Amino acid sequence: MALLAPYLLADGRLPVGAHTYSAGLEPAVAAGLTRAEIPALLRARLHTGVVTEAAAAVLALRAALRDPVDYAPVQEALAARTPTAPLREASAALGRGVHRLARRLAPGHPAVTALTRLHPRPLRPVTLGALGAVLGVGEEALAHGVVYDELQTIASAALKLLPGDPLDSVAWIIAAEADAARTVAEALAVRTPTELPARTPPLTEQWALEHDRRERRLFLA
Amino acid sequence: MTGPPAPAAGPAEPDDPTVVAVERDASGRHLARELSPGAFLAPRPLLPCADRLRIALVGTRAGLLAGDDLRLHVSVGPGARLELVEPSGLVAYDHRGGRSAWRARVDIAAGGRLDWDGKPFVVAHGARVDRTMEVTLAPGARMLWRDTLVLGRSGERGGSVRARTRAVYDGRELLVEDLDLTDPDLRELPGILGPNRIIGSVTALGARPPGPPHPYRTDLAGPGAQVRLLDTEAPAMEAELTALHEHWRTENENENE
Repeated sequence: MALLAPYLLADGRLPVGAHTYSAGLEPAVAAGLTRAEIPALLRARLHTGVVTEAAAAVLALRAALRDPVDYAPVQEALAARTPTAPLREASAALGRGVHRLARRLAPGHPAVTALTRLHPRPLRPVTLGALGAVLGVGEEALAHGVVYDELQTIASAALKLLPGDPLDSVAWIIAAEADAARTVAEALAVRTPTELPARTPPLTEQWALEHDRRERRLFLA
Repeated sequence: MTGPPAPAAGPAEPDDPTVVAVERDASGRHLARELSPGAFLAPRPLLPCADRLRIALVGTRAGLLAGDDLRLHVSVGPGARLELVEPSGLVAYDHRGGRSAWRARVDIAAGGRLDWDGKPFVVAHGARVDRTMEVTLAPGARMLWRDTLVLGRSGERGGSVRARTRAVYDGRELLVEDLDLTDPDLRELPGILGPNRIIGSVTALGARPPGPPHPYRTDLAGPGAQVRLLDTEAPAMEAELTALHEHWRTENENENE
């Protein structure tokens, strides 16, 4: 299982509901973001929210491998660093899909049963840590998975929101490699929930609030 | 209303923190247990008010320069109420390669309340400042904080600032933010600040203010809410945040009556 697991984790076709998420691209486009600015948006995400998400997933994976499993400290730290309510709600909605998959694969696994005890509902990085434990994925592969998924989510949402040459999206992701590597390294270096990075992207938060009030939208956030 | 402020022991040393500690005694009277001028700010009691202490933080030295370390300790005792007023904003000037720090520590005991009406914190070209706000709230404590960061004086791109906030309520993290605006190339990216250079916020900690929804209001995961506005120019945003701050402040009051 561990051989295929990292690929599964990073695969957009994984049935966890990720197609409902644009990682902030749809709200950004509504605020005027152009196709030419997508590489800059990727860079912004890698320096802010993604560091927190990847680090939280790694902390959750470490918690999942302890006995007893207690996700509360990482979940609380993550919630305190996600002040924008619609972003917390989107994260919880996406987390539900990951939780469901983890439960299907290993219903009795302590990493999975501990998710059920969390209130409010587990945020996505916490469930990814649990799924990582179930699949036997290491923390480095998990952090890479989270970072790669973010880039790929924005790049593929761009096909719908700012149509253009689909081959561009691959080039964008490859160009983001250096920033992505830095994000992964930073995420892996976090040792405790108190150290969880909290780099605030004020415009992204504002756009998420605007998006939440819109009636016509393709993506959750 | 107040007891006499503790006498300052001689002129403030460069690293002395400004200390403001208020309490409420058994008869409900407010008193300032300690008011010590620091190297940069002197606390001055304002006109007495029946149900609270009002204290102005008066600048005693020109803004922040390289090597400056402004420290501020504020504590509010059980059931006490403090209003902090800043008569003027603060400018971090060109540090010519150096760095400076602004560090505030706030402790609010059970039932205590702090309303801090902060004036703009201007980060001029060439400044490099670390600003940290550490807030500890006991159960039932509340804080309302108005805060404006301005990157650059008019026409400037602005210096470098990293503004970190960590608020803990009843032993649990309530709000942790790291506005890392040190690198102009990064902060101007879409999604971070874009072209904006003014970041204004009103933050309620310890309670969610009631009232009509503001389009940019967000409720925190715990007891608290925030409205943050971004702009390229100050005036419009200032007026809106002042109105909101006033609204949240008075709503909180009515609720207690």
